[in-house]
Order: sequence, then C-alpha cells, then structure tokens
Amino acid sequence: MTAAILCQNLAKDFRHMHKEPGLSGSIKSFFVRNYERKPAVRDFELVIEPGEIVGLLGPNGAGKTTLMKMFTGIIVPSSGRLEVLGHVPHQREMAFRRKIALVMGQKSQLWWDIPAMDSFLLLQKYYEIPDTDFKRRLGTLTDLLDVDRLLKVHVRKLSLGERMKMELMASLLHQPEVVFLDEPTIGLDLVAQKNIRDFILAWQRDHRTTVILTSHYMADVDALCKRIVLVLAGGKRFDGPIREFESVLGKQKFVSVDFEGPVDRQLALWQGLDASWNEDSTHVELRIPEDQLRSTAAAILQQLPVTSLSMEKLPIERVMNELLVKPQLLADPQL
Amino acid sequence: MSLAAEASKWGATIKIAWSKYLAYKLNFLLQVLGPVLVFFFIRYNLWSAIYGLEGVKTLQGYNFSEMISYQVWVMIVGFIGLGFNGMNLAEDIRLGRISAYLIYPFGFWQFHASSFLAFQLIQLGVAGITLIAVSLAGWVEFTALNLLLGVLYCCCVALFWFQVNFLIGILAFWLEETWVMRVMMVTVSQFFSGALIPLEIFPAWLRQVLDYLPFPYLTWVPVKIFSGTYNQPLLPAFGLILLWSLIAWGCAQYVWQRGIKAYTGAGI
Repeated sequence: MTAAILCQNLAKDFRHMHKEPGLSGSIKSFFVRNYERKPAVRDFELVIEPGEIVGLLGPNGAGKTTLMKMFTGIIVPSSGRLEVLGHVPHQREMAFRRKIALVMGQKSQLWWDIPAMDSFLLLQKYYEIPDTDFKRRLGTLTDLLDVDRLLKVHVRKLSLGERMKMELMASLLHQPEVVFLDEPTIGLDLVAQKNIRDFILAWQRDHRTTVILTSHYMADVDALCKRIVLVLAGGKRFDGPIREFESVLGKQKFVSVDFEGPVDRQLALWQGLDASWNEDSTHVELRIPEDQLRSTAAAILQQLPVTSLSMEKLPIERVMNELLVKPQLLADPQL
Repeated sequence: MSLAAEASKWGATIKIAWSKYLAYKLNFLLQVLGPVLVFFFIRYNLWSAIYGLEGVKTLQGYNFSEMISYQVWVMIVGFIGLGFNGMNLAEDIRLGRISAYLIYPFGFWQFHASSFLAFQLIQLGVAGITLIAVSLAGWVEFTALNLLLGVLYCCCVALFWFQVNFLIGILAFWLEETWVMRVMMVTVSQFFSGALIPLEIFPAWLRQVLDYLPFPYLTWVPVKIFSGTYNQPLLPAFGLILLWSLIAWGCAQYVWQRGIKAYTGAGI
C-alpha cells in the first residue's frame, strides 16, 4: 500500500536578508544586501500510513509549517525525496490536489466578501463533485457542525469559531484522503476548541482520513493524535506513540503530593526532582526518576504530613514545556 | 479532464468574481464610472480649452469634434481593453494568499484569467451603454462592421494587458512592491499608445520607432478601427497584437515557473 507521506533526507533552506535597524541600516541595505542561507528543515525522515492521525509538535520556527508547506506542494524542497499519496507534491498535479486539503487556522481560504455557501459552490466545481454527493456531504457537515444558519452569512461577519467551522467544511467537501490541519483551533475559546476537536475525531473515524496536525494546544494533540513527531530546529527528535512521548525526558514519573499544611521548600528531599509548588506550599508536583520512585515516595510519606499522593504519566503539555525550556534534555539526537 | 468541467470552473469563478465586485457598491461604481468622469472633467475640458485658443482650428488634421470623437473611442478602448488584475495578484503573492490557489485543482493563472474576464465582461456592458449615450449625443459615428472589428481588436488588447499585468504582478515573488512598475507601464503606454494625444501629432521618426513596439496597437489602432479611419491592412494589425500577447504570455509563464520555486508562502 502506498504511504500517505514518505520523506527521505528531506531538506529546505531559506535565504534571509540581514538588515541593521534604523535608517542607516536601511540605506546600507539599499546598496549592499547581506543574505544568509538558513536550513529550515534538514535530514527529515518520515513515513505516515493512510488513516493515521499524526501531531507535528515543536516550538515556533522549528520547521513544522515548512514541512506542511512542502507536504501540500506550496513550496519546493531544497533536496531529498518527498511523496504524498504517491505524488511529488510540488509538481502540483490536479490528481494530487483533489486528494488533499489544507486548513490554516491563521489564514482564511474562504472568499472574505461573500457568504460561505458561495465558496462551497465554487469548490464543488473546482473539485468536480457531483450534485447529489455535494448535497449529501453538505447536509452531513452542516448537521455535524451545526452551521445551517451561517451558510448565507458573509464570511467576514462570522466569529472566529464559526469561520473555522466553515474552513473545515470547505476542506472536507471533496473528501480528501489527507488533511493537513495547521493550528485549527488557534484563538478559539475552550468550548469552540472542543467542538472542533470532536468534529475532527468523528470525521476521521467515519472516513479513515489521514490527518496531519500542528497545534500549540496540547489538548488538541492529546485528544486527536495517537502518534507524535517532535520537530526541533528543523530536525526530527521524536517519532512514536503519544503514550511514549514522556520518555523523551528519560524514564520518569510525574508525582503530585498534597500536604496538611505548608511544608519547607528547601528540604534536600526536593533536590533534582523539578519541584513545582503552589503558592502556600501545600501542593507540589515532582518529576521522579523511575529507579528512585519507591525510595523517594517512601521518604516523603514518612517525613511529611501527606494527605494525598498520586502518580501519573507526565502530561504532554508539561513534557513540551520542559523541552522548550531545556532542549538539552534531549540528550540523544537520534532518539 | 473534460472540457465541460473546465468550462464550469471558469463559469463558477466568473460568478464569484461578480459577487465580489458587487459586494462593495461604491467601489464598484467608481471603478466602472471612473473613466467616464475623467473623460468629462479632464479630457473634454482640456481639448475645449486648447481648441478655444485663438487660431487653433485643427491639430494635425483633427478638428475639435474629431478630437472629441477620438477621445471617446479612447475611453471605449480603455473600458474593453484595459484590466486591473495585477494589483490583487501582487498582494496575493506578497501576503502568501496564493497558497490556497496552489492547492485547489484550478490553476492560479486560470483563476486570475477568469476573474479578469469577469471584470472585462462588465466593462463591455458599460462600454455598450456609454457608446449608446455618446452616439445619441452625436459625438461618434460608426458602422456595425467597424464596431464589431473594434470590439474584437479590443479583446486582443485585453489579452495583452492581462498577460502584462500578470507578468508585473508575479514579479512580487522577488520584489516587495510592484505598483511603481505598474504605474510606470501605464503612464508610458498611455503616452505612446495615443491614449492622451493622437499619434499623428508625434514626430514621424518616433512613430516609426513605435511601430516596432506594442504601444500603438493598444489604443491608436483600435480607435482608428472603431472610427473607420484605419487605412492599413487589418490582418497584420491583429497579427501583431496577438504576437505581442504571445510574447507577454511566454515571459509570464517563464517568470511564473521561476517565481513559484522562490515562493516561501510567507505568513502561514
């Protein structure tokens, strides 16, 4: 079976101009321009099978969006091999375009000055969707997203959450085989975020669509993705099941402890456990190496007035925060 | 890909473009009525003042009414032949908005070409209404054949302008701003195409030079065809404007192929 996405040694460089600040810098750059080539993505290897939902994670500027742009054929890779559904994306064959969709949370693809329904009718022609299929899919999507009353409203008059629902509809009407979701819930309130997530899950379950997601909201990734690819400085640093993601920080457990009253934060016990306290020192969250778990837990229970102690896997949000603050934690670059 | 499916994509894009134009009423009216206002407030008054000077009866064979008739035809040629597609296009590229068009199964060139066609079809209607009004006022006279040939020629001019605007627009792949080039191109072509003053007023050597450039075919030739005063064979005139369109198309395609490789999809 053809892989949904196949990358081998994929790389992309961008040329940046350097300009000193101020008017003198502007004048200087008018005569002499200094350019620098910067790798945005390098040696990227990835295979995604049809039907997977994969989260591309990483801080701003890590190369996630550059990857998305290469996957969708918007930009041309500098080197390496890239195939999406057996097509070379930047050749932009019509057969390829009919199989994919891209939703950009920060950029509307709908026509701003007209109602969404007009855009949908246009897309029906572009994707050559037969009338009966179009009506059926439109009906299903309208019901699922509860947007019946919004179809005839000008897109520029819609709220952010409403617009995002329309963007999703526009991208799914042609039933793409691969959907690229770039920050689909950015700027949305919690309820709207959840609605969008639930919808994507339901749609994916029914259609077995391959979904590639980037998001800074770990709740999105947690709810949607079974597999995570971590991108740091243009390279892949983790690729595996979401439940193993915490292992990038080493074999550690996340322990949270409540106390009867305030406890001393300076105790030697807390050293090296990355303690995170509440304001009145009655609650602490710790990261304990697995081989010290029994001894440390026993010491806490014996020495302090513990009211509750719970152990859980490290939340993905916390793993990401840790990695962003201390990228050196990723000791093994080949991980 | 069936021809019918492709035609329906063009048709749907034209409809969307019309909806967009109609969304902003004032903007639409000004775009359509602008040239008429310019004609009445500037051109008519300017030539009235020039012919009002003592001793000025004719200019290189043009008397006042012939000059006004010439200027009316310039306006009609402008309606049908001139387009404004380049402006949106450069902005689409600079702000990364073309990314969406690179994903839809309908080409970027086709999208802009059909939007352009949508606007030109409206302009054709406006030209028709204007022509009826000025003929009733007795400012122009024409035969049905000349009208048909003139409109056909203007369609070729529109084809040329579309390619040139597309070419200048896609220079935005490299340049931050392309409006200066567009303004320069329009200004130069207005002057050398005979849109401001008839080419007969130019010195003979300059007219000989211009024959080897596209400019005379953009305004002067179609005006002469409309007014029935073009006394050279028509076929080479049609051939030359189509040849210039083909050259502009070739350049635009080449630049597009290069530009799309340089495109970074900024802003997403």
